[in-house]
Amino acid sequence: MARQEKKKDVVIVGLGWTGAIAGIELAQDGLEIVALERGPDQSTVPNFKYPNQIDELKYGVRLKMMQKLSQQTVTVRRNEDETARPYRKLGSFLPGNGVGGAGTHWNGLNWRPMPEELKLKSYVIENWGEDIIAEDMTIGDYPVSYDELEPYFTQFEKVAGISGYAGNLNGEIREGGNPFEGWRSEDFPMPPLPRTWDSQKFHDACIASGYHPFPAPAGIASTAYVNPYGMQMGPCNFCGFCERYGCYQYSKSSPQTTILDALKRKPNFSYRTHCEVLRVEMAEDGKTATGVTYFDEEAQEEVFQPADLVILSSYQLNNVHLMLVSGIGEPYDPATGKGVTGKNYAYQMNGGISMFFEDDNFNPFVGHGANGTCIDDFAINQIDFGEEGFIGGAYWRSGTFNGQPIRNMPLPKGTPAWGAGWKEGIGRWYGHAMSIGSHGSNLAYANNYLDLDPNYTDRHGRPLMRMTFDWHDNDLRMNQFMKSKMEPLAKSMNPDIMQVGFKGPGAHYDVRPYQTTHNTGGHIMSETPQEGVVNRYCQAWDKHNVFVMGAGNFVQNTQYNPTGLLGGLAYWTVQAIRTQYLPNPRPLV
Amino acid sequence: MLPFPGRLMFNPLAGHLPMTDIPGLPSRRSFLKGSAAGVALSALATSASAEKAEAPVSLEDYKREFLNDAEWAFVMAATARLIPSEGDGPGAIEARVPVFIDRQLAGDYGSAEDWYMEGPHDASASPQLGWQTPLTPAEVYRQAIPAFDAWCSKTHGDVFAGLEASQQDEALTALQNGDVELQPEVRDFFSILLANTKEGYFADPMYGGNHGMQSWVYIGFPGARAAFREWPERHNIRYPLGPVSISGERA
Amino acid sequence: MKTFLRILAGLVVVGVIALLAFVFVPVKRSAPTQNLAADWQPEEGQGQYVMYAGDCVACHTAEGGEPLAGGRPIESPMGTIWSTNITPDPKTGIGGWSLDDFRAAMVDGLMPDGTHLYPAMPYENFRFMSEADIRALYDYLMNGVEPVENRVQATQLAFPFNQRWGLRAWNWMALSHEAGFKPLGASEMQDRGQYLVEGAGHCAACHSPRNELMMQDGVTASQKTFLAGGVIDGWEAPALYGPNSTIAGWSVEETANYLATGRNAHSAANGEMALVVEHSLQHLTDADNLAIAAFLKGKDAETTEVAGVMKAMPQPEADAAGEETAAMLTEASPDMPLGPRLYLDNCSGCHFVTGKGAPEIFPELENNPMVVSAEVGPLISVILNGAEVPSTEKRPMKLVMQGYAERLDDAEVAELVNFLRSSWGNDAAAISAEDVAKVRAAQSTH
Repeated sequence: MARQEKKKDVVIVGLGWTGAIAGIELAQDGLEIVALERGPDQSTVPNFKYPNQIDELKYGVRLKMMQKLSQQTVTVRRNEDETARPYRKLGSFLPGNGVGGAGTHWNGLNWRPMPEELKLKSYVIENWGEDIIAEDMTIGDYPVSYDELEPYFTQFEKVAGISGYAGNLNGEIREGGNPFEGWRSEDFPMPPLPRTWDSQKFHDACIASGYHPFPAPAGIASTAYVNPYGMQMGPCNFCGFCERYGCYQYSKSSPQTTILDALKRKPNFSYRTHCEVLRVEMAEDGKTATGVTYFDEEAQEEVFQPADLVILSSYQLNNVHLMLVSGIGEPYDPATGKGVTGKNYAYQMNGGISMFFEDDNFNPFVGHGANGTCIDDFAINQIDFGEEGFIGGAYWRSGTFNGQPIRNMPLPKGTPAWGAGWKEGIGRWYGHAMSIGSHGSNLAYANNYLDLDPNYTDRHGRPLMRMTFDWHDNDLRMNQFMKSKMEPLAKSMNPDIMQVGFKGPGAHYDVRPYQTTHNTGGHIMSETPQEGVVNRYCQAWDKHNVFVMGAGNFVQNTQYNPTGLLGGLAYWTVQAIRTQYLPNPRPLV
Repeated sequence: MLPFPGRLMFNPLAGHLPMTDIPGLPSRRSFLKGSAAGVALSALATSASAEKAEAPVSLEDYKREFLNDAEWAFVMAATARLIPSEGDGPGAIEARVPVFIDRQLAGDYGSAEDWYMEGPHDASASPQLGWQTPLTPAEVYRQAIPAFDAWCSKTHGDVFAGLEASQQDEALTALQNGDVELQPEVRDFFSILLANTKEGYFADPMYGGNHGMQSWVYIGFPGARAAFREWPERHNIRYPLGPVSISGERA
Repeated sequence: MKTFLRILAGLVVVGVIALLAFVFVPVKRSAPTQNLAADWQPEEGQGQYVMYAGDCVACHTAEGGEPLAGGRPIESPMGTIWSTNITPDPKTGIGGWSLDDFRAAMVDGLMPDGTHLYPAMPYENFRFMSEADIRALYDYLMNGVEPVENRVQATQLAFPFNQRWGLRAWNWMALSHEAGFKPLGASEMQDRGQYLVEGAGHCAACHSPRNELMMQDGVTASQKTFLAGGVIDGWEAPALYGPNSTIAGWSVEETANYLATGRNAHSAANGEMALVVEHSLQHLTDADNLAIAAFLKGKDAETTEVAGVMKAMPQPEADAAGEETAAMLTEASPDMPLGPRLYLDNCSGCHFVTGKGAPEIFPELENNPMVVSAEVGPLISVILNGAEVPSTEKRPMKLVMQGYAERLDDAEVAELVNFLRSSWGNDAAAISAEDVAKVRAAQSTH
């Protein structure tokens, strides 16, 4: 029998980016709020402090900041004929753990989606007709527009402390920014960071090719910064330890640097760590949630936390899992296309080219996670889908990051993987390679989805969630298109050696190499309850006091890193809760 | 705020004391509550950085935490071929990679503590589905080494450690290419061994390998310095300064 | 030994004077400096505000204890002084005190029974507070604070320090200034600042020097030595006023930022000052922190808001004094001496090769009072153990610098300190590894 805690107005499940945003915004209304966090508490000092954080083995390779799969994981199969097997050892994606969540160990790339991406289906139909949408492609429009979200993107960028240069300021296209981006009501809160040598070379090559280079939008402080909550960031020193690490320098945008200390001062807010939420409990009428049951690691017992409002703000995979085990939304069935929970799981399609310049010194350890120059000349709104035969797009980026030698030792093809040749190769090539990455869209398909696994359970006896996912030709064609455009550009830079890495036809999903932690969909937003799990305010269609944050709301993935969109959506949602829901709790649509 | 510190009140010449008498406490409060922390601090305080530290015990005398004699002989021999000593830069032996591997296998990596290890297991599943063997990394070493040694004995007439270097390279190549028949539970042994060898070569020296940060010096990686604000725009200039380790060792 | 003899000699002088004082001076309470109507009532919140301004909590609250219930030990080499319970508990607190009793404690250092308080209580400074503020504070302590029964351990010092008659003599000299505040009249804003600094804020208790009899040498702005810098427990409380002010390069607004948040474009509060910010100054109004800053700087503030948000603050470049050091560090040459090498290996990440740090987050080291102070203990201590700027309302982030006790040995810390004290134009005396060893040892034995 579960212990019962005192009732709260709001329970927040997961204290990462979106949980912290929900906490600090709702705390302003005087609500009694408790956040439950599965992992440990984490602060810049001591958890991310110098020099201990500068440990590639511990954090970069053994991944000690990440979710422990022994505690929670998924099973994976590529198609329904395969038996799904557990994701036992971290590889392809790295969900975070502990206070701050994945917001502590991300690279800091903070993009907004393109306006066209938020109404992708109608954009495609209007321009090329419905015929180019493959039968198994389940893309849709987001039930909220770019114009509606713009103020919230701006708000998140101010809080998160983003460095960059606006290319479209209230419709005015500015040279040096991204001319293809959606309009911005204000410029970035901080100017862009300086360019490293690879970034400069790429920039110059892009100019020579008639492209439109711009600095990557970085959740990395270019200057000292004070955000709207009075929280602070220190200027980045290009230490190079962003992705998989907490930032010792207070430079990376994270809940720690931008929200948490301000939130902890609120007397009506509290949080409990090592508390893993197991399910959302429902009222007898099935229309509302009554709270959540969690496992208290310290007491080794289940605890019921009653609350009037439940906010699911854990990682996308965990949110979907909680909804599946709690009965929020009808589980999606790919055979019939009916049901919604678990639908439209999507990922990211990436590729790139490594270039070797024997006489150039790139100092790959000098960098940061959002370093570099980008182009959007091959973005979703720049491609003639009818002509090219796919739907999608990508942004490209070049800039040093993660230049640590265990996991980042690019060597020319033909270099032995071991032995004298390998040793000679690392001495010759470390510091003399640069790369261009293509970061592309991954659309939604009828047979890419999440459900409960029939064979495997977690330590609480809950079924693991099963991921059924593989690459589809549309996205692989997109990737090959990027390859065909990137090769000439790379050649124009005259590297001594170059090698190309783009997945092509026949490629299957491989859980071993790291790809991205951009798992999206599964509790998608929709215009109607038949199409998705949550409405335009990220409110569960069938449980009006449950709001769900994060990339699980994405109808299909965009070509960008998800944080900017999910941050904007979080502010949009919280605003709806504050102004519409609290005065009159009900389904908002 | 301490308006009138008692210490000072009875010590009119505090400002003129020789510096050596200064207690140097950050505040009265931390002084008062700091006893436990102070004890911990003194216990942890290391007075010497690595360059003043004594030379480590030889690999022969190293007291192993996980590997048995045969395994140790194999790991010594195999890593010496994976990253040989000849040529520029340290080899795995100079970098003390075997020590690293032994300690890793004895620790939570070896026991797969963070991984989901519940059954059922299908060790023959597509490699693209990742780690599916029921074995932990330590168990993979324990089972694979005798199997590989048996293969070496059968094929080359001796266990791996007893072979000539060129035979060892041949055997490792066979292992890498999947030409050594192994149970599916240990089929990834070569890639694990190679990955661990490179980890030990490049990881911070506190894990037992990368001795003297020689590997970092060799490739020009500055280790745990992590402070390069003035370098992004110093285009195409090789960063010149040698590495520092987490413990403060310099090279 | 020599020091001890000098103390002893000082005490003999005190003793002799005290005896004389006993003979000639009757114990007398100061009269109120203002005639307020008997039914005068403080404004809502006024008393609590005075409590914040006076930082009463700092001394009158034990570690983990109820606020204002006393029992905090104040260490001294002669024994421990225990702060008193100032909640309105009639038995163990001040519940039985009349307003006149309270005023006598605040301005004369007298207990209701006529005995003297230890001058850990800064009545030398509270003597400048207005009658209205004293009454407001009395009203707050009596009516706004829950009584807490907490019998505080009696202070028992060894002879002769347990003799309160000595203090009577001391008071007789220390309290030679009249009760009541005398504004310089520069401006209304600066006068308000002066009032807070001299009175409730009791800044002189640390930031003015002490004379041979341990009296504050400079309790009012009219004295040359006022806030000319003091030393407490091996920590330098820098000069804040007058020609040698260490905040001469700060603007009024930057100074107010520091008071309200413990951080500004130049520096970060640590040690005792961090506690002052945390418990007292962050609770003052922007107007009052600006007034304090205006008074200290002799210039009225031009803004009304302190520590605004949404600011991107450009990185300061090296100045003329710092150019040479910055250029040398930028080259990162492998043959540089150990001092700068240690700086690059440990410090430059946050404080940068310019030694300028970054505004409001990483303190500048060039001309930093702690870095160049004759008192080197604090600098060594910060390097070994780190430092922490507290969370405040306007700057909620707790800024923590990690310590390097595990990474650097004594000789390395000494090399590093000597580099800091001789770079970017800094010019302070060198220290030795033994100096570091003593700070390390002192901390690990406590």
